[in-house]
Amino acid sequence: MSKNKLQKIFVFVLLAGLLLVACQPAAAPAEEAAPAEEAAPAEEVAPAEEAAAEAPAGPVWTKELRQAFAAAIDREAIVDRVFEGRNTPAYHMVPPGYPYATEPFLDKYGTRDLDLAKQLLTDAGYTADNPFVFDLWYPPEHYGTTTADVMQVIKEQVEETGLAKVNLQSMNWAEYVDGFVAGDLPLFILGWFPDFVDPDTWLTPFASCIQSPDNGVNYCNEEMDSLLQAAAAATDETERASLYKQVGEFYAEDIPTIPLFWEPEFITFRNGVEGITIGAPFEFNYHVLSFADGYVTASGDPDTIIIGTTDEVNSLDANDSYSTHDWEIIKNTGLALMSYTPGTADLVPGAAADFPVVSDEGKTYTFTLKPGQVFADGTPLTASAYVYAWDRFNTLEGQVSGLVQVYVESVEAPDDLTVVYHLKNPIGFFSALAATAPFVAVNPNEFPADAIVQFPEKLDGIGRYKMVSHVPGEQMVLEANDLYAGNDPAIIKTVIIKYFADPTTMANAVEKGEIDVAWRTLGPVESTRLQSVEGLTVQKIDAPTLRYLVFNHTYGMTAE
Amino acid sequence: MSSSFRNFLITRLLLTIPMILILVSLVFFVMRVLPGDPIRSQLGPRVSEEQADKIRERLGLNEPIMVQYVTYLKDIVTFNFGNALTQGERPIRDELGERLPATLELSIPAMIFTSVFGIGLGAYASKYRKKPVDYGIRLFSIFIYSIPIFFLGLIFQIIFGVRLNWLPLSGRMDSMILTTFNSITNFYVLDSILTGNWPAFWSAISHLIMPTITLGLALTGTFIRLTRINMIEMLRTDFIAAGRARGIPEKTLVYTHALRNTLIPILTLIGLQMAILIAGAVLTETTFSWPGIGRYLVERISLRDYTAVQSTIAVFAFFVGIISLIMDLMNALVDPRIRY
Repeated sequence: MSKNKLQKIFVFVLLAGLLLVACQPAAAPAEEAAPAEEAAPAEEVAPAEEAAAEAPAGPVWTKELRQAFAAAIDREAIVDRVFEGRNTPAYHMVPPGYPYATEPFLDKYGTRDLDLAKQLLTDAGYTADNPFVFDLWYPPEHYGTTTADVMQVIKEQVEETGLAKVNLQSMNWAEYVDGFVAGDLPLFILGWFPDFVDPDTWLTPFASCIQSPDNGVNYCNEEMDSLLQAAAAATDETERASLYKQVGEFYAEDIPTIPLFWEPEFITFRNGVEGITIGAPFEFNYHVLSFADGYVTASGDPDTIIIGTTDEVNSLDANDSYSTHDWEIIKNTGLALMSYTPGTADLVPGAAADFPVVSDEGKTYTFTLKPGQVFADGTPLTASAYVYAWDRFNTLEGQVSGLVQVYVESVEAPDDLTVVYHLKNPIGFFSALAATAPFVAVNPNEFPADAIVQFPEKLDGIGRYKMVSHVPGEQMVLEANDLYAGNDPAIIKTVIIKYFADPTTMANAVEKGEIDVAWRTLGPVESTRLQSVEGLTVQKIDAPTLRYLVFNHTYGMTAE
Repeated sequence: MSSSFRNFLITRLLLTIPMILILVSLVFFVMRVLPGDPIRSQLGPRVSEEQADKIRERLGLNEPIMVQYVTYLKDIVTFNFGNALTQGERPIRDELGERLPATLELSIPAMIFTSVFGIGLGAYASKYRKKPVDYGIRLFSIFIYSIPIFFLGLIFQIIFGVRLNWLPLSGRMDSMILTTFNSITNFYVLDSILTGNWPAFWSAISHLIMPTITLGLALTGTFIRLTRINMIEMLRTDFIAAGRARGIPEKTLVYTHALRNTLIPILTLIGLQMAILIAGAVLTETTFSWPGIGRYLVERISLRDYTAVQSTIAVFAFFVGIISLIMDLMNALVDPRIRY
């Protein structure tokens, strides 16, 4: 055989080998976090390297174990050691400042109760020689590089009981999501950002029997379900406050998840930019921004503001979009049925003329639109626009469809100014839900009934601004909507959103004066540095961004 | 064209086709074997499994893998790459149409800079071998080779952007000019010349300077060292000694006769580095918020956006194939021994 042929055969074998290796299925995390050897207690989860064949018969996370962890964790120490005090300890899943927020974990466990943790672990049969061993998972980059530090502190705090041993495990985000949705991870960290301003968005996704599997929690408790449903359905404020207090107490007792801390956001702007007010709903309203007399703008034009961000546009179709930055653009160019007074959590009518009329059984919400509203291209807004949006949710199945479909049964428009939402179940927070981007009417001339348009050329909504151009990855230009019919029109006529790939570059840009405002996401390192730069103001925003630990409540149960 | 050169050209062209096919097939299957899913990677747990399944169905991810493979090959052959699976599901052809010109507009000047600067310094150092200037250039080449590219970019930004205020920090054009700029080819420098928009031209050039120099300098070390060592060998050859004996000026000997004969390995290196530059400019693109294809690829890999990654790599493979073909042809033209 010639040398040439040998070479060809070698190359072919090499390529085939590579393909075979690539096609080998990846080892599932569940196999790594295998059950313990026989001598250990039934609940014990073995470290990855001690993989065994048999699956344990019952769930790993007993109530006592969950309580032991809740008692062992010291959130203030995490915040001090990892974040130098910038973050806020979370003693409930509902953020402080939100309606009906309480601190049940603080009430039950204090800032930390190591003795209680030791007692609970001892009662469960664990000793120093026979500790409870388990895997704690985290994604090393998705929530920032500090996640590894947070996990290390939690490991140290839990191991300080002397009765538990933690194996830290990590994997990239794409695998991680697959892993916890499949139920392969016993205990892991996640982040949450609310969809709307109500405790329900913080509790039902993790503690209801129907929704908790989607988040890898797999928690189901009839009492909790009843409480959550009653709280969601209640419309009376006093009754809701009482019910959510009970939910909080039960949450801290039964612990579907452990809230850890709230991550703040930072907004940095050049002195001379006025009107920046970002409140509990986490809405950045461009129309209230203005410039102080004598301020030299980044653009050089006194009627143009440049706002920097490291976010990206994913979809500007209100019937599809499901990300913070997209919602910000949609709500600045549109107007949801309900809205918030800038900088507060005070719900006010948006496109609607008033608060909705709620039927006696709480399942029908009737909104009356403000008369005379038109889209920025002159098309009149009628109630049929909301029926059109409902049809698009159902036929196009955009990313955000589920957020509406889970609550709404049908939508009708009996006349041009009346929109009626029929709900599947009574919910007391529907007005807050109606303040989200999916309740912004889309312009039928730009968003056809049969296709999602993630990147429209223009965005002619009914809001205070209209989008006139967008170069993906570079910039977006919004101009004041001359046809806007509501109160408080835009003060600054042109807003340019400049997209950055790197927060450090964005920090340099605001320092140099290439942009007026540096918004999401300027990390703590950059924000701390910019605090000492003359001519800049750094504002800390108490964002409702939560990090929490998730117990997989069915982990260890034998598959049926 | 001689028959030997024609045969060489045809063989190389034919070899490019299986090379691209093998590469894109490998990428197709490896992407699907990797753990992770484009829907969950982007939306996390925000959508229910039922909702995620509906989205998968809409995007054609529920089709059998071989059906997806055949569709993919058809798409590649027709240059219709379909739509991305994440970040807005835009047509990939549109995304590459915006990103690729941005990367080429950055890579080509960077390559020219690094070639001229690196080869020039390497030749200069060889002329003054073992003199202080030679040591200085060698030290510079090691220093510039070892410094991380994003760090270099950051230092330049702080010095020339923030402190001295000479150059813009990031992006491809001034925001206010971009609001009215009419882009035809997405090569902003070219477009501004075509439309006679001189403020836009100067803005595009000023935005190019820092990223070009950063990217170019990072590769200069390799060129300096390769040119220097080859030139030293060349300057020892008999024909240079003969030239010197005939009284040919040293400058002519070094920069004309010796340098020309040193070009073959350097041309090969230029080809290889150009391929690396297109794909590997990601750090420069990130530091300078340059919306190029390297950054796009890295983002889409982390999101498991199969179609975007496959199509981008297919385009890379195509470019690398073309560049290596051009380099082979140039070498064959320069040195007839190669084509025999």
